[in-house]
Amino acid sequence: MRKIASYMMVLFLANILTSVAFAQSSTISGKIVNRTTNESISAVSVTIKGSQVGTFTDDKGNFKVNFNQKLPVTVLFSSVGYALQELVVSNPSDYLTIQMAPSNSLGQEVVVSATKVAQKILESPVSIERVSAANIRNSPVSSYYDILSSLKGVDFTTSSLTFKTPSTRGFNGSGNTRVNQIVDGMDNQAPGLNFSVGSVIGLTELDVDNIELLPGASSALYGTGGMNGTILINSKNPFKYQGLSFQVKTGIMNADTRYREASSYNNWSLRWAKKVSEKFAFKIGTEIISAKDWLGYDKRNYLRKGTTGNIITGDRASDPNYDGVNVYGDETTTDIRTAVLNAIGSSAAPFLKNFIDTLNGGRPINVSRTGYNENDIVSPNTLNYKISGAFHYKITPGIEAVLSGYWGTGNTIYTGSERYSLRALKVGQYKLELNHKNWMVRGYTTQENSGESYNATVTARLFNENWKPSGGATGWFSQYSQAYLGGRLNGLTDFAAQQLARSSADVGRPVPGTPAFKSGFDKIRSLPIGGNPGGGLFVDKSDLYMVEGQYNLTHLTSKFADILVGANYKQYNLNSQGTLFADGGGIIKIGEYGGYIQATRNLFEFLKITLSGRYDKNDNFKGRFTPRATALIKVANNNNIRVSFQTAYRFPTTQQQWIDLDVGSSTRLLGGVPFFQQKYNLNTNTYSLNELPSVTTPYTVRPFKPEAVSTYELGYKGLALQDKLLIDVYGYYGQYQDFLTRRLLVKPSGNNTVNDIVAALNNGVAVSNVANIYSIPVNSPSKVKTYGFGLSVDYRLPASFMIGANVSSDNLKDVPVGFAAYFSTPKYRANFSIGNTGFGYKKRLGFNVAYRWQDAFFFEGDFANETLPAIHTVDAQISLKLPATKSMLKLGANNLLNQYYTNSAGNSIVGGLYYVSFAYNVF
Amino acid sequence: MKLFYKIKRVGLLIITAGILITACNKAPLPPAPIAQPVQGTSPTLATLLDNPDSSFTFLKAAVVRAGLLAALSSPTQRYTVFAPDNTAFMLSGISSVGVINSLPVATVAGLVSYHVIPQVIASTSIPTTFPNFEYPSILNPTTGTPGFNPLVRLTNFPSRRGSAAWINNIPITATNVSAVNGVLHKVAVLVAPPTRFLWDSISTSADLTYLRAAVIRADSGVAVAGTLQTALSSFGVNLTILAPTDLAFRTTLTGAIAGALIPLITAQLIAGGATPAQAAAQAPGIALAQATTLAATPAVFSNPALFGALSAQTVKGIVVYHILGTTIPGIRVFSVNMPTTATQVKTLLNQAVAVHPGVTVRATFAGPFVGAATVKGLANATASNIIINPANPFATDQNYINGVMLRIDQVLMPQ
Repeated sequence: MRKIASYMMVLFLANILTSVAFAQSSTISGKIVNRTTNESISAVSVTIKGSQVGTFTDDKGNFKVNFNQKLPVTVLFSSVGYALQELVVSNPSDYLTIQMAPSNSLGQEVVVSATKVAQKILESPVSIERVSAANIRNSPVSSYYDILSSLKGVDFTTSSLTFKTPSTRGFNGSGNTRVNQIVDGMDNQAPGLNFSVGSVIGLTELDVDNIELLPGASSALYGTGGMNGTILINSKNPFKYQGLSFQVKTGIMNADTRYREASSYNNWSLRWAKKVSEKFAFKIGTEIISAKDWLGYDKRNYLRKGTTGNIITGDRASDPNYDGVNVYGDETTTDIRTAVLNAIGSSAAPFLKNFIDTLNGGRPINVSRTGYNENDIVSPNTLNYKISGAFHYKITPGIEAVLSGYWGTGNTIYTGSERYSLRALKVGQYKLELNHKNWMVRGYTTQENSGESYNATVTARLFNENWKPSGGATGWFSQYSQAYLGGRLNGLTDFAAQQLARSSADVGRPVPGTPAFKSGFDKIRSLPIGGNPGGGLFVDKSDLYMVEGQYNLTHLTSKFADILVGANYKQYNLNSQGTLFADGGGIIKIGEYGGYIQATRNLFEFLKITLSGRYDKNDNFKGRFTPRATALIKVANNNNIRVSFQTAYRFPTTQQQWIDLDVGSSTRLLGGVPFFQQKYNLNTNTYSLNELPSVTTPYTVRPFKPEAVSTYELGYKGLALQDKLLIDVYGYYGQYQDFLTRRLLVKPSGNNTVNDIVAALNNGVAVSNVANIYSIPVNSPSKVKTYGFGLSVDYRLPASFMIGANVSSDNLKDVPVGFAAYFSTPKYRANFSIGNTGFGYKKRLGFNVAYRWQDAFFFEGDFANETLPAIHTVDAQISLKLPATKSMLKLGANNLLNQYYTNSAGNSIVGGLYYVSFAYNVF
Repeated sequence: MKLFYKIKRVGLLIITAGILITACNKAPLPPAPIAQPVQGTSPTLATLLDNPDSSFTFLKAAVVRAGLLAALSSPTQRYTVFAPDNTAFMLSGISSVGVINSLPVATVAGLVSYHVIPQVIASTSIPTTFPNFEYPSILNPTTGTPGFNPLVRLTNFPSRRGSAAWINNIPITATNVSAVNGVLHKVAVLVAPPTRFLWDSISTSADLTYLRAAVIRADSGVAVAGTLQTALSSFGVNLTILAPTDLAFRTTLTGAIAGALIPLITAQLIAGGATPAQAAAQAPGIALAQATTLAATPAVFSNPALFGALSAQTVKGIVVYHILGTTIPGIRVFSVNMPTTATQVKTLLNQAVAVHPGVTVRATFAGPFVGAATVKGLANATASNIIINPANPFATDQNYINGVMLRIDQVLMPQ
């Protein structure tokens, strides 16, 4: 490691020294316009052929470039969407007016993430999807992040308006930790809360240059985590995209008032970039989104069994033990026969013993406390504020230093094993980076502050306890039981007695919307989880520090192969003050380092082989090597077959390593590091709840390890029909092993023994009454296999019409009976779109209609399981360009027909969002 | 341009198709309530009282006076009513509706409430096992008192043996008249709610003065909470006490004391100069005379001279041997619940002597009532009779708030 680092430093210095040896001598300037419309074109790359010297046109289409080559020089003008143009300049004093011809050719986009080297998308050796700023501009989506859902093979888990989690190739879930999200080179997974924050705290919409998506296993180059894909979002360089732009979107949600009152949606963003000199440019951007969020409104009854369960019949009126999916506080349940009535029968009123024994046919009488709806306890106000800025300084024409910061805060809703209201969550990412065409070094940090975020479930349960404790002689269950018994003694039916009992025990229950409710609830949600007294608040200020470097040795090794090397070191500082992690004694540090090498060689004219490998080591786990091999076979010009073997693995998240969280009902979520086995004495007298009562031998905790996947993929991408048709197709087969999942252990509490646990299980008594329950992460011994395919076609019709369609499929097989794989993925999904970016009056009109369908599927999550019905959505936009100000007016609709759907169990129900937007200086 | 229009048309088609397809998104359904059993609206228990033959007019009047008509009409409540018809009322001494309406409301309410159990017990569900199953009635004896407790209930004891069934010791004459909100069984006479505790009776009955004294003797030296008197005076326990009458006690005690005195008197006579043969001949007569005198009053239990022969422990052993059931709160056995073949039933003595076989009980039925019944102590030569009231068979069993008492004509001897 150290050797590699010092070698890189030498190369780095050498480059700086050689670069600064140049001196400037000539200048050319001019303006670039569209040949058809005569509009100026911004962000056109202007480079002097054979040098590193170049610039971009500003927002008025002007450019000016200084160089020191001998005249005449060849100047290259290039821009996506226009044909490449060359011009030989012999007299630099001429003011040039360049007309560029629009070229709407398919498949010419350049991608970087597939091999960490820029290449045409047609020549990527692995499947890749790309979204450009133009795609975003012409898309109907209300927020740029949503555009990912139109890509083939992508599923979305929508927890709320601004908390959306994309994934590919299965294993969907809110805050999926198996998909890496990398923004401007920085992993934006929150170091403590573990979900990626791209949809909450990422780039501002106007600053997005492009998004690349690598579906499937992809950690060979990007490191641990990318089991189900890597999403890379890159911002606009201020040297290239200059000037002031802004966008105002205003719309309406909940238009039919079915779940909420109709409310406005506002998304305003602004970007200002300025090239101060050839050496220095900066940008700042900001975006604010405000709306009333979608609502989790599933009030169906859920039979919870630890972290699994299923929907059952019953509602609050008809099931005394009702536990609504999106109703909180009703998770607190007890068998009042055991908890209260038996004691009445055995001591206080023995004359009632027989009567009590026959109540409910002698079976347990399970009763849950009265819960609160999501809209009672989670603020509907989604607010998302982002601000970012960057200084770019060219130390030499070839070396660009970037100092940038991204900060965001907001309120949103996330679903993990519970529903979480993220309030005033703040995440900042700060980066210093040096870029050269051959190398890059970068250091960054992610600073997380969970703000006022709270666990809605825990808070609601504790709020109930705070108002009236569940236990005790005068507790809620005691009051309930006595009223129930009294009701039965007065002849009431069970149903009527249960209702009487609930209304008696709920007398004086705080009513949502009243000041008493609000002050009580605010008090509980501001007390830290696990504190004394406990509340629902996360206190999480965890940080991540990372340094990484990469060197492209190709200029030295090209005779043999194109070789790329890189390395990184990262450190997590877990800081929850003992509320989330076992960090009561101080910050927990986790170190992780890794390195990678990639070699690419053209074997024949038509075959390009790339081999990559990556090694990672985490403090708490053995080192892991992830290889990747790809081959690109050129079958014809612009027609390539790709074959790859990829692997990925994931170190358990920081929570899976160090969480130490009491979630109520004598249940504690634990991390998997050996520390916890000692702390809670899990090595003796501890049993697996999943296997009780049949297996009563103690459970042996085994060391846990990273999970891994390996995937084989075959794909084809090519142009046909005079380059008007772009086809991309892939098929894959993957195998997952050492799946990280959780297992519930029980340890008898007090003087109880395993026999008491067995008795409790057999009698339907809550295990938490006789044991402490520990949820620990474990590796599943089962291997599961996935396979699937994707197919997309894009066809360029005359008159600038484009149609596109894609279909993809993901499947899971060899799942052992009774094993929850959390695959949660529809077997089929399809997208269809038609659009035009310039038609009608002076070709200023544009439109896009996108239709998406996904099949019904079974969603498994820690929060809820259920079979979700098929979903159809139509998004549409129609726009008008105003070229004089480079502005665009857009009328857009997401879920045009306001057909409410939810794409993950227990998450928000999404309806139509309609907006009008005005964007200034955006193209 | 033609192509453009074509495309436009295609676009419209797509949008239309989209509209058609997307119209079928299924938002989460509201929760499905658990179906409650569908039920008719009549007859209710209340309307059953208006039967065509007018045989429940007394009961209807009592229910109305007790204020229970609404409850018996309610579709959300479930009861079993043990219903005395007009004849049963008259047998119990209530000769007319006018009498009912002249009684205090509280009295009528107590009476009716004791006939109502707040759950549905079809005749097939009436327990057939020994001892008895305890059902709360809707009669709360603390209603209106400062010590009101909403959960307190007087209980009663439906039982069945073959085709015969009783509530407490009252025969059920017809079963299973169904209503939407419960079931009605006819009873032969009124089932009077108990108003007194066992100890109230034992401590005041003229023919149980020895039993009273024995209990007091048995309790001597015991903390109040653990005494038999406390148990016999407590709400919530169920004691079946076989009460030897004073006559029985006197007979037994006389014999026992005389037996204990004979050796002493024999020794005194020999010391006074009598020959052993004379002493042996005279002693029984003298002992019997002295014993008769000693045992002539209940004070025999507090006579210090007899503390050796009648120690508190010995007396307690004898007293608890007269209480059926091995624990407190105990069991309640009416004569009709007694087995018809000789059967050993354990007693409270088993708390001290776990292996003791108990007493042997046997009842002989005469119609729906017990015509004769015996209970035999382990050390008794003969079985004692349960004293049957031939004039009023319902009075054989004396039902109290906390138990039932049956009088017997011998003291049961455990050893």
